[in-house]
Amino acid sequence: MITNLTASERRGALLILVVMAIVGLFFAAAGRGDPIALHGALIMVVALAFAFPVMGHLYDPEPSADRLDTYYDDPSKVGMILTFAWAAFAMFVGDWLAWMMVEPTWTTGSAWSSFGRLRPVHTTGVIFGFGGNGLIATSFYVMQRTCRVRLPDQLSPWFVLLGFNLFCLLAVTGYMLGITQSKEYAEPEWYADLWLVIVWIVYFVLYLRTLARREEPHIYVANWYYMAFILVVAMLHIVNNLAVPVSFLSAKSHSLFSGVQDALTEWWYGHNAVAFFLTAGFLGMMYYYLPIRAGRPIFSYRMSIISFWGITFMYMWVGSHHLHHTALPQWVQTLGMSFSLVLLVPSWASAANALLTLNGAWHRVRDDATLRFMMIAAVFYGLTTFEGSFMAIRSVNALSHYTDWTVGHVHAGALGWVAMITFGALYASIPWLWKKERMYSSFLVELHFWLALSGTVIYVFALWNAGIIQGLMWRTYTENGNLAYTFLDSVVAMTPYYIARAIGGLLFLTGALAGCLNLYLTIRFAAPATEALSLMPLRDPVSDAVIQAAE
Amino acid sequence: MTLDVSHDTVVWAAKTVGLLYLLVLSAIIVCYAFWPSRQKEFRDASAAILDQEDRPWR
Amino acid sequence: MFKLHYRLERRAIGMTLAIICAASVGGFVEIAPLFTIDQTVEAAPDMRVYTPLELAGRNIYMREGCYACHSQMIRTLRDEVERYGHYSLAVESKYDHPMLWGSKRTGPDIAPLGGKYSDEWHVRHLLNPREVVRVSIMPSYAWLMDNDLRIDDLSGQLAAQHAVGVPYTPDMIRHAADDAYGQANPDSNRVAGVRARYDDNTNIRAFDGIADRLTEMDALVAYLQILGRLTDASNLDPVGKDLE
Repeated sequence: MITNLTASERRGALLILVVMAIVGLFFAAAGRGDPIALHGALIMVVALAFAFPVMGHLYDPEPSADRLDTYYDDPSKVGMILTFAWAAFAMFVGDWLAWMMVEPTWTTGSAWSSFGRLRPVHTTGVIFGFGGNGLIATSFYVMQRTCRVRLPDQLSPWFVLLGFNLFCLLAVTGYMLGITQSKEYAEPEWYADLWLVIVWIVYFVLYLRTLARREEPHIYVANWYYMAFILVVAMLHIVNNLAVPVSFLSAKSHSLFSGVQDALTEWWYGHNAVAFFLTAGFLGMMYYYLPIRAGRPIFSYRMSIISFWGITFMYMWVGSHHLHHTALPQWVQTLGMSFSLVLLVPSWASAANALLTLNGAWHRVRDDATLRFMMIAAVFYGLTTFEGSFMAIRSVNALSHYTDWTVGHVHAGALGWVAMITFGALYASIPWLWKKERMYSSFLVELHFWLALSGTVIYVFALWNAGIIQGLMWRTYTENGNLAYTFLDSVVAMTPYYIARAIGGLLFLTGALAGCLNLYLTIRFAAPATEALSLMPLRDPVSDAVIQAAE
Repeated sequence: MTLDVSHDTVVWAAKTVGLLYLLVLSAIIVCYAFWPSRQKEFRDASAAILDQEDRPWR
Repeated sequence: MFKLHYRLERRAIGMTLAIICAASVGGFVEIAPLFTIDQTVEAAPDMRVYTPLELAGRNIYMREGCYACHSQMIRTLRDEVERYGHYSLAVESKYDHPMLWGSKRTGPDIAPLGGKYSDEWHVRHLLNPREVVRVSIMPSYAWLMDNDLRIDDLSGQLAAQHAVGVPYTPDMIRHAADDAYGQANPDSNRVAGVRARYDDNTNIRAFDGIADRLTEMDALVAYLQILGRLTDASNLDPVGKDLE
């Protein structure tokens, strides 16, 4: 892969890595006595681990000009492997945490493995490690094919992909070492945040440069979603992470905002991380892969545009529904609730658009587990957005907030929507990228699908029950007007649901591991595709006839 | 520099200007999506991705 | 050719600007007014700041992820007020950078925890929760007793808090490490300094039960014992105006 870089790109890569190693060394040496030194050392080791192979190939000949006739897919390939690796790691941690809630002593007893430290490892690992790598890998793939142009250079995609993974690595190792800002879903400390800003700017510039070179006059709608994801996440990340570090050699910083301002900023960020990281980006994925896999154009392109602007526009208002009945001014709560309800319109428009696209291709959904992953994702997207709007209603939220219902809701979205669409997109891209006829084992894809679906359903039903029971127990009164249950009663009542949840999670994890195995087998052993096959349009006569009839 | 803006003024401005902003942008978007001359562009765009010619055009 | 490129690029930039415009409204409308919210937050002239030891304990609370299972925000609901106490006021987290309202109650809300239990109860509970609460599913935090509290960076911590708006005086910042030591060692000669610089009612005790050692347990228990005690505002504010 290194020899595919041009000589000047190799020199550029080496320069970046050397600078990083020096910065790492500086923090490791000057920050002694502070946890930041460990991260300095980690940065240095990672930079050197990449610098040596690059150095070994520094004076290799230039790659052949033939490369310009193909898309540049090496970063997408590595990104997809990383997606699976993060899925296995983060979902394992998640299920471990689930069992800890059943039996709190199932831990090593050391600080790094305590619930409070591993919980952000799970959330960051899934959202950023698994989701983020999936988005980056597929966005490189999609932007080249929809623009019909090769990536403008070969260095910046690597910088984005590997730089982002360094951020994830700093984040999860940091939590285990006790380095955290404690802002939910934005826990990494100031230096990791700054690094992500650099990576993100390069990412966005790369996207704009690819678009600027494009051969298709129209920018396909999937790219709009990917762009909104990149842009708005940058905005949210920068504002929410404003903080003053204790010193430039200290891992600790103090948030610029406090109390009620901080709460709203945090949930403005938190909910829009859901909106633009876990929704917009993955909708981009869906608007490309679902039509391709189904062999049919998207049902209504206009509807996809309107829902795009609806989502971009309205999500930003709804964060305050996380703060109903708190010290936040009431009008902000009401505004958040109202927009949460209106938001259902563009959300359901997107879900319906996806499902209507499948009309006429249902025989494929039946036969093809990859397409079924995408179909189920659209169904869960519709369910979760409905549930979300419902839970944003003040009186419902009074019951659901602080309970496991919220956790169940999040997982309906994360497992049912985000993970399903990602696995679908990955199973679609992997054979194309590695020039294989198909995934090595279609049985394993099928197995993964059913494990993922049953795991999600068990998980979500368990926590719906848990959350509603919790919420009701907290507010039940006896006839004499006293609270009927102590808090501990509600803790004890959760045990069966927590066990069911942990089993659901285990099924989902097993499915992901089956996916990892299948990925390995495909890369290693699957039969290569013939040239004709790899270029064959993925259409079939049945749906072609339908399209023609429709036109 | 002390800006003498009361909380109520800011809230009022946010609510009125914000609402106007919302309405105007929505109108622009709906016009954009439904403008008759764009129909062909949209139809072509949605069909174009299905063409799996797996190499760049230049 | 050049002209064509220019047009195409303009389209992508236009899209970028449109996304920024559309996405910024919500934030603008909701967040901008919060920067004048000081005018609406209840006045609390008696509000005191965290002592260096309590601030260090707060940092440990964040480090261990306690906020993942405990909220510090009692909502304006009848059952919550009856279970936990007066609903939380905005002013009570005025000096919380960042706030620790939390979003999940795997364990109970602890906004008004300070003074509810003895130091000894907290220490035993943190060492082994099931020793004091048989059915608890809280993990043990035994290492807090083994770890000496880091105090060399406390002046820096206070200075950073001052930079984001908490009214620490230069005197407090300079003596942060001494004050942390003094607050957990009632027999030491540094107690007078704590008394002089902070509130008269500041808890000065060997929180972990060991007088001559300053552990992370000292800091965390000191923090837990001040929760809900920074101001009397909630005692002065009558409960029950519009509880649902």
